[in-house]
Amino acid sequence: MYFQQLLLLIIHKFQGERSSTAPYYLLKGKKSGQTIQDVTYFQLHPYFSLYPKLAKETYEEEIMKLHAEGFIIMNESMIAITEKGLHQIVSVRRPFYNGWILRGNEFIFWGRVELIVQTLSQFQGNEKKFVPVQKNNEIHHFVKAFLHERDFQSKTFVANFKKQLFHLLENTQLLEIHRNLFVYRLSGYKNSGLTWEQLASHHHITVLDVKFLFIECLHILLNEITEEKYPDFHALTKDIYVQTPLTDSANKTSKLFEKGYTIEEVARMRFLKRNTIEDHVIEIVSVNPNFPVGSFISDEQIQQVLQIAQERQTKKLKIIREEIPDLSYFQIRLALTKGEEING
Amino acid sequence: MDKLTEVLTRKFGYDSFREGQKEIIEHVIAGQDVVAILPTGMGKSLLYQLPGYLMEGSVVIVSPLLSLMQDQVEQLKMLGEKRVVAINSFLSFEQKEMAFRNLSSYKFIFTSPEMLQNERFNHALSDIRIAYIVADEAHCISQWGFDFRPDYLRIAKWLQHYRQTNVLALTATATTNVVHDIKDTLLMREPYEYIHSLDRPTIAYEAIEVKNAQEKLAWILGRITSTSGPGILYTQSRKKTEMYAHELQKRGIRVAYYHAKMDQDDRILVQQQFQQGQLEWICATNAFGMGIHKDNIRQIIHDHIPTSIASYMQEVGRAARDGAQSIASLLFTATDVEQAFYVAMQDFPEEADIRLAYESNNIQLQLPETTARILDYWKEELTEQETTRLFQTIKQKKWTEIQGLYTMLQNGVCIREQLLHYFDEQLTNRPKHCCSKCSLPLQEILVDRKQLSEKSEEIDWKIKLDELLHS
Ligand SMILES: [Zn+2]
Repeated sequence: MYFQQLLLLIIHKFQGERSSTAPYYLLKGKKSGQTIQDVTYFQLHPYFSLYPKLAKETYEEEIMKLHAEGFIIMNESMIAITEKGLHQIVSVRRPFYNGWILRGNEFIFWGRVELIVQTLSQFQGNEKKFVPVQKNNEIHHFVKAFLHERDFQSKTFVANFKKQLFHLLENTQLLEIHRNLFVYRLSGYKNSGLTWEQLASHHHITVLDVKFLFIECLHILLNEITEEKYPDFHALTKDIYVQTPLTDSANKTSKLFEKGYTIEEVARMRFLKRNTIEDHVIEIVSVNPNFPVGSFISDEQIQQVLQIAQERQTKKLKIIREEIPDLSYFQIRLALTKGEEING
Repeated sequence: MDKLTEVLTRKFGYDSFREGQKEIIEHVIAGQDVVAILPTGMGKSLLYQLPGYLMEGSVVIVSPLLSLMQDQVEQLKMLGEKRVVAINSFLSFEQKEMAFRNLSSYKFIFTSPEMLQNERFNHALSDIRIAYIVADEAHCISQWGFDFRPDYLRIAKWLQHYRQTNVLALTATATTNVVHDIKDTLLMREPYEYIHSLDRPTIAYEAIEVKNAQEKLAWILGRITSTSGPGILYTQSRKKTEMYAHELQKRGIRVAYYHAKMDQDDRILVQQQFQQGQLEWICATNAFGMGIHKDNIRQIIHDHIPTSIASYMQEVGRAARDGAQSIASLLFTATDVEQAFYVAMQDFPEEADIRLAYESNNIQLQLPETTARILDYWKEELTEQETTRLFQTIKQKKWTEIQGLYTMLQNGVCIREQLLHYFDEQLTNRPKHCCSKCSLPLQEILVDRKQLSEKSEEIDWKIKLDELLHS
């Protein structure tokens, strides 16, 4: 039910203006102009790229269930929440996610914690040779360096580390189920962690719910960690936040704009279609509100678009363009993106 | 103490060699080619590791099964050996470059057959000193082997650059045909052959014919709930592993399922839970078993006729590593023969596939991955007609083998004798508990299962955290 509520929340945020694949691409973190632009339009930053491994069939199955329950309506071009669906989410707790800047990297943090706890636990059990649950080589190197910089075999270090973890988990933003999932997934000396399936059956919820609750738990913990309060855990967050949330391609385009090239010139230089470069502009503007757009659209035009969107209560490009046919779809998208920044 | 035993004690922590080990190691050190066939769990890894400590240069180990490679590296690291590297397609470009640059600093270099075609890798290899080359799981070289990997055949061309270096071929199961292929492909010159008996006297065999799937299920539930594990229940599909696990869980058994479609993290956790005794049983496809280090497995159950005798021996061989009495039970119905043949032929190229492969250059998109890989290889080596004929022959042989296995289970002849006979071996000493055709006093072999105290496993993160890290 947890995942379904999350889906309903996202569908609600799309305001009936996108098709049923939009929430899927959002959760997968698809790096296309449309998805990135929607993130800004509809304020969907928390949910972007929450679960890159989400299978299409799994997603569709959940959508069909919501549909069968009468929580949503949909056709080929749009998906929307019903009043019955709205009842499902109005009174429940709002989930906390930070997808836009984490993009799955919370699992790097998790892997580090998992390996450190296993190592400390094995050393306490005097079994210093063990097979690590965590297989990622980069995480191995990181943890090795982390432990060697500290006196990790000393009682004080372990006690301190455990105390920090304990406090971190006592954070009141977490639910008891978050804490249980986190700790029971950990492995140690003669003590293996549980699989997603086992965690699900212990809590009588679905595997999908377990995974999304687990991700939420990591996001809440990461949000809480500061260098003063949790010095050791803060060190484990190194390099996990996305610095420039731009795609590589948009980043290249952005550099060329900085040098003063026009859309046409950039497209020609990069052997890309004009459309693609326009997508990049939208992406750049979503991320960087200070990016100058004067050469693409005037301030008056932006105001004009926003006013129509306001009056007609829509973000549908087609409807807006009927009123100002002089502007291109690209200009309207750009104006709407800027508009979100002004409001939000 | 002689030099070999000294290294054995210092590096591996054993006091003495097991039968055959010392001779094999001496021949490797003397620079001779060696083919060694030993049943699983007989200290195979020691054979390729130990000589490395007494010779200059690096040991190159070619291993066709990626999951196994990872495990071998981990096992060596557990022994305190840091100079180990696995070079395979999982590495990123940068990681590969880094490994190539430092190649001589590694004592043990594991690699996959595919990588042998990598020019940069070969260039790096030509700059270092190689002590000897190991062909692990060598039965995969032979198309008659149950786990044939066509890429492995490319090792023949590669070995031509290393005519001066001796080769050690290792496998757990090989018929005379397979041994012949191994020697041929690896360009061996009068190799020293060590063939350990494949008989595992402490594993008793039991074959039970039932009428249908319901009877199978009832038998399995009865056996597992009343007698003691640890055990592995092998079945043929992902769905069935889940079904069995679910049914057993309902009856209070600590059990999990295991198959290749699970998340890697989850698969590792299940393996560990089983090894540490948190689980009594695993319901698995044949994906389970590689790299399992558990000595006290008491029961192996198959709910089907396996696709080959060699793979059956390998799966059964996971029991009784500690030498204590164990049992392998196989349940079958008359229709399982067709099913086994169907499973065995799943990735097998049909005539139409072969034609397609010879007409088109891009078959990856149209055929299953394994099929495409096999055909890609043969296309370079044979004409279309030859390939078609080759696969007809293999198919025919496969059918005969499965049919033979069925007869073996049904007739009145000793199962152990028949299994050994397949590997051209004769039974010399019949163990007290042999098989269901000879004599099998189950009450002497099986131990009653102790009902676990039904302590409701309460979930409390504070308790588990204290268990993990005590203060
Ligand atoms: Zn017998």
